[in-house]
This record gives sequence, structure tokens and C-alpha cells, in this order.
Amino acid sequence: MSILVVDNLSKQYSKNVHALKQLSFSLEQGESLGIVGESGSGKSTLAKILIGLETYQDGGITFQGSPIAPKKRAPLRAYRKNVQMIFQDAASALNPKLPIWKSLLEQLKNYKEFTPSFIDVEGLSDKDIARELLGLVGLDSSLADRYPGELSGGQKQRVSIARAISLEPSLLICDEPTASLDVTVQVQILTLLKKLQQQLNITILFISHDMRAVTFLCERIIVLKEGSMVDQFELGKLYEHERNPYTKALLNAASLD
Amino acid sequence: MSNSLLTVNNLTIESRSGELLLKGIDMEIEKGEMAALIGESGSGKSLTARAILGILPEEMTVEGQILYKGQDLVKLSRNEHYQLLGKEIGIIFQDYRGSFTPYIKIGKQLIETIRTHQSISKKAAKEAALLALAETGLDPKRVYHSYPFQLSGGQVQRAAISMTLALKPNILICDEVTTALDLMNGEKVLKYIDKARKETDCAVLMITHDLAQAYKWSDRIHVMYEGVIVEDGPTEQIRFHHQHPYTKKLCSSLLSLPEERQASTTEGVYSL
Repeated sequence: MSILVVDNLSKQYSKNVHALKQLSFSLEQGESLGIVGESGSGKSTLAKILIGLETYQDGGITFQGSPIAPKKRAPLRAYRKNVQMIFQDAASALNPKLPIWKSLLEQLKNYKEFTPSFIDVEGLSDKDIARELLGLVGLDSSLADRYPGELSGGQKQRVSIARAISLEPSLLICDEPTASLDVTVQVQILTLLKKLQQQLNITILFISHDMRAVTFLCERIIVLKEGSMVDQFELGKLYEHERNPYTKALLNAASLD
Repeated sequence: MSNSLLTVNNLTIESRSGELLLKGIDMEIEKGEMAALIGESGSGKSLTARAILGILPEEMTVEGQILYKGQDLVKLSRNEHYQLLGKEIGIIFQDYRGSFTPYIKIGKQLIETIRTHQSISKKAAKEAALLALAETGLDPKRVYHSYPFQLSGGQVQRAAISMTLALKPNILICDEVTTALDLMNGEKVLKYIDKARKETDCAVLMITHDLAQAYKWSDRIHVMYEGVIVEDGPTEQIRFHHQHPYTKKLCSSLLSLPEERQASTTEGVYSL
């Protein structure tokens, strides 16, 4: 069953600015879907709409079989627990004045009725839970008492990944999570996402302009241009058909020759 | 070497607290060459650029030589050094928003820059500015009459390049000029830098952490790690026959495209 169905979604910022034009796609449970396109293609608008930070004019979103209406609070609360997001700028995703362990637990505090299944929380203090979460993303538990300013960009991004998965979301939206990181760190973060996806059976929607990153993580890829889907393909079948010229241009931009 | 335009000899930079930031760097850049300086954040890439430009913070101690056209840039006074900037040594920064004053139209800023370095009339400077903008594939009239915030990031960065190239520098330093842009716009920017290099024979020092970019565009790669150049050589040599463990690590972190993956052994990662 599809976990997420986006149907004819349209978003207009002003009279002449159409960020998304009748976009339709669906996402299967456990899948990793890549959305690739250049700046201004509507990638981030889509992410914002999906987590309810932005409204839309037309179309609809169905999550796990029920429609998501952006104005009703109660269903939205459950929806937001199940749909988590990682942003490009990990530095601004963490409160600079909170120690890491407090930031990590923010989500769990919001959903007190929930306990993650991958940690045996029995008898653990809050800080211990935070330490377990750090371990899950390959960070040393001693980082729990540090502040965001004392962490590297890659470490901060790992912390925000840990926070996002602490609620065991069914869907994880990643908006350019590696764009501002060094190449060596990029690979580490992508490898971590891949590992977590398999370990916890998370569905991933991965948004990026980097063909290299998208094809590393995702099995299926949608190419977005000026708010419309211009191409979509499964990774293994990339070269089976003549591709859209824009897809070719994106591949070309990433190629080494 | 006879062709060398810029020679860096044993360049060492020490911070006020006595920490060695650059530890004896040697580098040679030839006329018309595209040299890449790669390495991770904090390895000293930008510091090297700043030393060449003479814009290091005063409290840092610089030792060694930076020879350009027979003079040692390290020994120049600040004023003498500034005389070289723009006309002889051009620079494009990562933060393209900072390249222009936000509340003055691009055209006016281009004219101001051109007239600072060349004594020509306003009218001639305007013509030169429009020409420079057109060279980088921008719509010259529109950009000329725009404020920086009315343009996209790629457009502003290309306008910044036009401004730098309009002065026809002998050496152009590009400090992570595509990092803030997406791949498509980054490619456009690099294409114009490369075109200008071929037309004017100016040397380019491209500072980047993007390995794919260095492979694709440079003639020579210098690999920097913790303030030391650990390896350098022609691009092909660094790409296929690197020796140093750090270069190995760096080169193995390049993610592969599906078509390249067939030739690789490690899943997803480009291995050579």
C-alpha cells in the first residue's frame, strides 16, 4: 500500500509564481524516493507542504489512507509524529542554548505517550535515552552535554537525524541534508541514512540537487523542473529509455568529463 | 620554472596564540593554468588564498615567500599589496551576496569597479560593463538595472565573475565559488571561468572541497590536509594514481553515478 499519495498538488506564491504545478506521485512503504532538480524547481516547497509548514491551493495529500487537511489540529498531531524532517542547515535546526541531550529529547517530550521500540527505556534517565540515541547515529555518548556550537557540521546533522528518528516516523523527509557538508562527511551521512532506513524500515523522501547523492540513496527518482515532474525512473532502469533532456542535463552537470 | 606565474615557497602562517595554521606550503601556478586546491573545511585552503591576496588578519605571522612577477608579496606593505588586487589578482568568493552592496544597482557597482582601475569615461565603462555581463551569459541590460536581491544566486555569482573578469586579472582566485549554488548553476559559472581563462590566458586557483569539480575542470590538483599540501600533481595522476592516505580517503568519498558504478567494486562509492 502506498504510504503517501500526492495528488495534483498545486502551489502558487503570487500571481506569476507557480511553485508546484499539478504534481502527483506516490510513495510505497519502506521505499526511498529521490526528488531532484535545481534551485527554484519547487523541491523545498513540496517538503514544506508535506510537513504542514506551507499551505497549498489545489490538490490533496493522503497519508496512510487518510487525507491530510492542513487545518484540523488533532489528526495533524498524529501525522506530524509520523512524518519527520531533516533540514539542510543543521546549525539552525538545533537550539544553540540547549545542550545536545535536551534538544534530542524535544520530540519525545512532545509525544509523551510514545516510547521508541528500538531503545529499552525501562529505568533509563532522560539523559541516558539521549545517549542511546546518539549511539544510534554513530556519535559518542559524551556529546550529550555539549552545545551545538561545539559540534562539527556533520555531528550536528547526525544529532538532527537522531532527533527525527526518535519518534520512529513512518516517513522521513530529507531536504538537502548533505548540501553544506564536506564530501567525506556527505558520504558518512548518506551511509547512515541508508543504514537506518534498513534497520528501522523507514520510508525516505530525499530532496537534493545532487544526482550523485540521490542515486546513492534512492531506488526511484523524480525529476522536478519549474514545479512540474518532467521525468521519473527506477534507478536500475535509468538507461533503458531515452531520458528527458533535463534529466540528461542534470546527469551531465554531475559527470566528471 | 620559466612559466611559473605565482610561486609559493615554504609559506608558514602562525596564529597569535602560536598555533601553526599553514606548515610550509610549496605551490607553483603557471600562466593559463587551472589549478585546484582541495581539502576539507579547516585544512587551510582559504588561508592560503588570503595570504596571496594580503587580506590576512594583522595578528597572524606570515613566513616564507609568495613570488609574483619577481616580487615577494609577503614583503609588500598593505598598500602596495592592495594595488595588485583586482587588476593583477582577481578574487571571487563563495558568498556571492557579499560581493555586491545590496542597495546599489549592479550596473553602478560594475562601473565603479571598472573606473577605479581604468581611467575611462563613464560611457566607456558602461559599455565595458554590459559586455562583461553578456560574456557570462546573462541578459546584460536586465542585470545592469537590477539590485542584487532581484536576481537568483547563480545570476549574482555570474555578475560577480563579470565584475572580476572585466579587469582582466592575470590570476584569478576562486574560493568555493559554486558551493552556494546548485549543480546546474555551478556548472554554468565554471564554464564561464574556464572560457575566460582560455581567452585571456589568466591562471585560475580554484579552491574547492568538491572533488568532482576539481576532476572535471582542473589541470593540476593540490591536496591540502591540516595545513600541509600532502600531494600534488596533474589531475589525472591524482585521480588515478594518488599515493597519500588522505588523498585516498578523499577520492574514495566521491559518490558514483549509476553509469560509473559498473566499473567500480565498492557499492555506491567510486573506487579506483
